[in-house]
Amino acid sequence: MSLIVTKTSFDIARKPILRAVDFRAEPGEITAIVGPNGSGKTSLLRAISGDIRASGEISINGRNIAATKAAELARIRGVLAQSTQVAFDFTAFEVVRFGLRAGVHANNPDLPHAALSKVGLAGFADRYYLELSGGEQQRVQLARVLTQVWEPVFDGEASWLLLDEPVASLDIGHQLEIVELLRDYVERGGGVVAVMHDLNLTAMMADKVAVMQSGRVLEVGPIQEVINDATLSHAYDCQLRVGEVPSASAAPFVLPQTALPKTFR
Amino acid sequence: MDQAVEAKVGQPAKDRVLKARQAHAILALLLAGSCVASLTIGATNTSLWTALAKLLSGETLSQTEQIVLWQIRMPRTLLGVVVGAGLAVSGAIMQGLFRNPLADPGIVGVSAGAGLGAIMAIVLGASLPLWIQVLFGPYLLPLSAFLGSWIVVLILYAAATRNGQTSVATMLLAGIAIAALTGALSGILIYLSNDQQLRDLTFWQLGSLSGATWNKVLTAGPIIALAIALSTALGHGLNGLAMGETTAMHLGIAVQRIKRLAVLATAAATGAAVAVSGGIGFIGIVVPHLLRLSTGPDHGPLLINSALLGAALLLWADVVARIIVAPVELPIGIVTAIIGSPVFLWILLRRRGGFVM
Repeated sequence: MSLIVTKTSFDIARKPILRAVDFRAEPGEITAIVGPNGSGKTSLLRAISGDIRASGEISINGRNIAATKAAELARIRGVLAQSTQVAFDFTAFEVVRFGLRAGVHANNPDLPHAALSKVGLAGFADRYYLELSGGEQQRVQLARVLTQVWEPVFDGEASWLLLDEPVASLDIGHQLEIVELLRDYVERGGGVVAVMHDLNLTAMMADKVAVMQSGRVLEVGPIQEVINDATLSHAYDCQLRVGEVPSASAAPFVLPQTALPKTFR
Repeated sequence: MDQAVEAKVGQPAKDRVLKARQAHAILALLLAGSCVASLTIGATNTSLWTALAKLLSGETLSQTEQIVLWQIRMPRTLLGVVVGAGLAVSGAIMQGLFRNPLADPGIVGVSAGAGLGAIMAIVLGASLPLWIQVLFGPYLLPLSAFLGSWIVVLILYAAATRNGQTSVATMLLAGIAIAALTGALSGILIYLSNDQQLRDLTFWQLGSLSGATWNKVLTAGPIIALAIALSTALGHGLNGLAMGETTAMHLGIAVQRIKRLAVLATAAATGAAVAVSGGIGFIGIVVPHLLRLSTGPDHGPLLINSALLGAALLLWADVVARIIVAPVELPIGIVTAIIGSPVFLWILLRRRGGFVM
């Protein structure tokens, strides 16, 4: 019942994008993938999603994804891309409904509305997708993914959300709304793997984090172990300092130490 | 305010589904009415109703009535249904496949490919080995037209698709190149043809339903019916493809299979329609567009509705072509182009942003 990536490599025109990556995510946890631009985090997610044929072995809940039919995979994992273009004048509701037929709940016509409410777009059902803002489109797509794998655990098997920067184009209020939604999903037994850009948001929401650099996973583990000055500064090649939010939770936060205005040095 | 918003949820989009379903019934009725009109309106004064009344009261029809109704109008009406449905469905499928409302077999050279196939069959058919001629008989021309359109669709898709995204600009440009090439090849064949072949060719190229025979109906009918039946399996897949090949795959759609089926159905329907009617333009672009405006872009109902409306529209275009300059006939392609070109321009000017270009 885990998501396991073993010795996975991927090249584009002989340039290595992923180099023998080992990665693992468990249901009941949010696992974040972070790293600088071009470190291979999106490629790793695309390999897990089955978009690119990488070498090595990738399995979800014990199914080798290379040997599993698209329709079967669609019932155990939903995928959110960084952005999704939609041709023709589909409404938000119609886009979300595509997820209904793909998943295991095709006979529950109320799901798309419930999913739209969950992402905070309750009144948007009949709006045209193409006329929505980037952030709204992204939330419609998340609702579509949720509709596809609505139950975090179905038939004794964990469902997975594979998300590429799910909150990057959202304002802080909506970011927190989505983070809460993902927390709720894993607390009910589902699994979430998310490529993240914002280190502070990652530190706040993720249970585990994998730090990538140049196609390799530098370190993977619980937030408290991986989010530290040395690892992050090395991965991102700049000076970063990790502090603790002064509260009972003691969640870590990350501050840049270079390019500060003179008054703060 | 939130409550007001909540109350609105769920209604409008569901309405569109409902409307698309109701449209099946309305369009089926429209098609039935169009068939009656097509059978009734014509150069001679033979009315369908008087013929029916005669049959019901036990009288026999005069020989003229029999010939006009059974040998002239009936095959012509049926051919109109078959060709109109075939062209509209291939337009709708192509637009889904290429994720763009401007894709149309006539515009991107698929009809030209079918045309070249047909011309090859007419000019070179007689020089083929006898057993091939005997084996294929009257099916040589439609088969060859089908092959022509199939090859063009394959070339177009291969040329315009990179990393799962189809560039429509590339597709249109490739279509122009292919149309020019097929035009040149057709020219060579015309140059090579003898007088009889030239005559066949010219009649065929004019593009009309006037040469309708039972033979043509029975040749193109089953192929196009098969393509339409095939298209009913494509609705969900084409909806998924509207979000790109990768997202479609995430949704569990067997993308390669859907694409193959779509190419096959388009090529079969276009090939068969062009083989028996000679390239009638714009049906494939106008019909799906009107339906999308009124009942939404969901390919499930759209494909069937396109077949129904395409058939009805082509019958009316044919009626207009028959009566507007009676007793002579206007080629039907002129009628559809006069309606179609402004609609094409209108789509071009009014489309919402965001299509893959």
